[in-house]
Amino acid sequence: MTGTNDPTNDEMLVETDVSDGLSAAESSVTDDAETVIESKDINVWYGDDHALTDISMEIPENSVTAMIGPSGCGKSTFLRCINRMNDLIDVARVEGDLTLRGKNVYDDDVDPVALRRRVGMVFQKPNPFPKSIYDNVVYGLKIQGIDGDYDQIVEDSLKRAALWDEVKDRLHESGLDLSGGQQQRLCIARAIATDPEVLLMDEPASALDPVATSQIEDLVEELAEDYTVVIVTHNMQQAARISDKTAVFLTGGELVEFDDTQKIFENPESQRVEDYITGKFG
Amino acid sequence: MATEQDSSYAQGFGQVSRTAGLVFRYLLLAATMFGIVTLAVLLVYVANDAIQPLTADAGWHLTFFLTLVLPTILVGGALYRRNREALKLGGMVVGALLVSLLFSGGVAIVFVDIIPPLTGFSYAVGLAVAVAGTVLLTKYETQIPFTARVAATGLLFFLSLFGVPGYFHSIPELVQQAPVVPTDWIILTLVLGGLTALVVGQYIARVREDTKAGVAAGASALVLTALGAIVGPFVGIDANALVVVTAVSFVPTAAYAGGSVITREELKPGLVFAATVIVGALVGAVAVDALGFAGPQAWTDWQFLTSSHSGSAENAGLYPAIGGSILLMVTVAALSFPLGVGAAVYLEEYAPDNRFTRFIDVNISNLAGVPSVVYGLLGLGVFVTYLGQATGTVLIGGATLALLILPIVIISSREAIRSVPNDMRQASYGMGATRWQTVRNVVLPEAFPGILTGTILALGRAIGETAPLIMIGAPNVVFNLPTELSSKVSAMPLQVYAWSSLFASEDFYTKAVPAGVVVLLAVLLAMNSIAIVLRNKYESET
Repeated sequence: MTGTNDPTNDEMLVETDVSDGLSAAESSVTDDAETVIESKDINVWYGDDHALTDISMEIPENSVTAMIGPSGCGKSTFLRCINRMNDLIDVARVEGDLTLRGKNVYDDDVDPVALRRRVGMVFQKPNPFPKSIYDNVVYGLKIQGIDGDYDQIVEDSLKRAALWDEVKDRLHESGLDLSGGQQQRLCIARAIATDPEVLLMDEPASALDPVATSQIEDLVEELAEDYTVVIVTHNMQQAARISDKTAVFLTGGELVEFDDTQKIFENPESQRVEDYITGKFG
Repeated sequence: MATEQDSSYAQGFGQVSRTAGLVFRYLLLAATMFGIVTLAVLLVYVANDAIQPLTADAGWHLTFFLTLVLPTILVGGALYRRNREALKLGGMVVGALLVSLLFSGGVAIVFVDIIPPLTGFSYAVGLAVAVAGTVLLTKYETQIPFTARVAATGLLFFLSLFGVPGYFHSIPELVQQAPVVPTDWIILTLVLGGLTALVVGQYIARVREDTKAGVAAGASALVLTALGAIVGPFVGIDANALVVVTAVSFVPTAAYAGGSVITREELKPGLVFAATVIVGALVGAVAVDALGFAGPQAWTDWQFLTSSHSGSAENAGLYPAIGGSILLMVTVAALSFPLGVGAAVYLEEYAPDNRFTRFIDVNISNLAGVPSVVYGLLGLGVFVTYLGQATGTVLIGGATLALLILPIVIISSREAIRSVPNDMRQASYGMGATRWQTVRNVVLPEAFPGILTGTILALGRAIGETAPLIMIGAPNVVFNLPTELSSKVSAMPLQVYAWSSLFASEDFYTKAVPAGVVVLLAVLLAMNSIAIVLRNKYESET
């Protein structure tokens, strides 16, 4: 759809087949879906603080994977491992393997900047640039050197982010003049304008009111048709509504259970997960 | 029953003593007022000495009261009650006119007296050719690798500005040797008027969201500037001077007023206020002339601003020192801005947090507090003794003052860069931007107004410095404008200092010194007002 391929994409992450056939077979509902992201024994330290312990999971293609858990359990940290945003924190140290389409993103030959061009990210607080709406959407295209019909890409991206009708007459006004929910949808439009493979969302609706939240939720479900969406959320109902698979992180940075959303919410295997979901803990 | 219960309940709270708080509050007020009042009294005293308003005829005061003060109060008062925003715009327009008039004086000194118009024109043409070439290069050839493009751009600028001696004439040389050269006012109209037209045109095009309106505005700005040169000689003003004043002051002020009214219709009454003040001042001036009332015998007068030092206080002037200060400021800005902002960006965005950078941090803060005379000594030691430069030139004066304000520029730029929200950097990195792209596209544009404000305030400190200039051997008295970087230079504070020390006499103390101080303060306030306007604009936008 939008955008053309960035030449740097082809140089990096050459392998596209799934390296580990077993993992795809193991997941029960989306049996036929390819695993896009696979983590094996990921450990993260912030200085001496052990933030994540031995996280292993496989995230299937074109689905919504939710990560839930109490504050400080490391779900955002795991999300930031996927596009190596943790590299920007001096004291952070990551160990283990995390593969994107079979290529370990922590290999020495992987350029984190090139990696982030294929993995879009939406942050907790809406953070549009103090530029016009149009310039916000084309930012990624410009810095990645993608040519194309920018007007068309802007229109497509804003339409996919369900924002086009509200802003089509004021594309050249500042993105900061929008409401919080609109700003977040602008950030989503900005992230999908460059047509990434994976979309990471770090509590995208936590700073928004209920109406804006439900708009974002609808949007996430639609985006999952074309993108692999990984979403961190505080809100268990939200995870239940929109996700196909759910990972429950609990205090201490462990992944306690990872399964189909329905199973997690109806019949979790772990007692701790059941306590958390029913509100007895966390 | 209920009320009874309420009152007894309320009585039950008792009272909390605020005596200590009240005492503290009024002590703070007293401390604030002490400083402000002392400074105000001092300034009024100096201004009174310099302008001597009481020497004017009573009729002069009355005329101006009737034509200027009274209408201003009436219109201003009416607007204050009805449309405060419009009054603010009116005030801004008047202020912009005054400040830009001051600046047009400076520009006139630089582009008419210091740089001969033909030389300026030839270099402007050279620069324009180089810039046009660079734009073409980036627009149509995106395949050239980065380093080759930088090299090509550098070569283009070098060749068009300097040429290759003996083989290839530079563009300035070609222009200067051209058989037919335009007269000075045409040159000034083309260069200054052209620049103004460009800025005004873009501003109006943005405000009206209409390219045609922008082109029309730019064209009329150019025509107005040319008109200044044609009308000038008829009203007894030098054509060159009027071109500069029109291009730097009148046209931009008019564009600002027009643009503000276009964006916000309801501000239109503000222009009435501005017109009242301007027309009132003009009518007053014509009226006192016609009625024959004598104005105040101010020491800060046209003669003072346009002549050089003289043995008698009545004939002494500040002209070479004003020109010297302007040249020094240009040199200081050209040196300290790139160095300071570069260091600030490195320290904030690139430098790792280790012992070495923390050591540098502490030392920059300390350097900002080092007395200026020490920087003078440094300048003398490094530039004169070690590098063997002549003493007291524009270049080493500017370099010494640039060193002096460098820590301040670095600190304020770092502050501005640090105030860019981290969210925006994260967003940029998350999009797959490199560090350079993030700095270039997100951090610097957002921090730029703050950086500019800090730099202007730092320049304000440099313009008032005397000690470093004395240390590097700047002459106390210069009779001609410095025309090159290697000319001897004096500066306003140095000239004032010389009058109050070397030529100390009752006459100089009471006439030349206050007049010089008032000019220095006016220039300083004009610079600071730009910084304040920038900061307000920046704060209201975010």
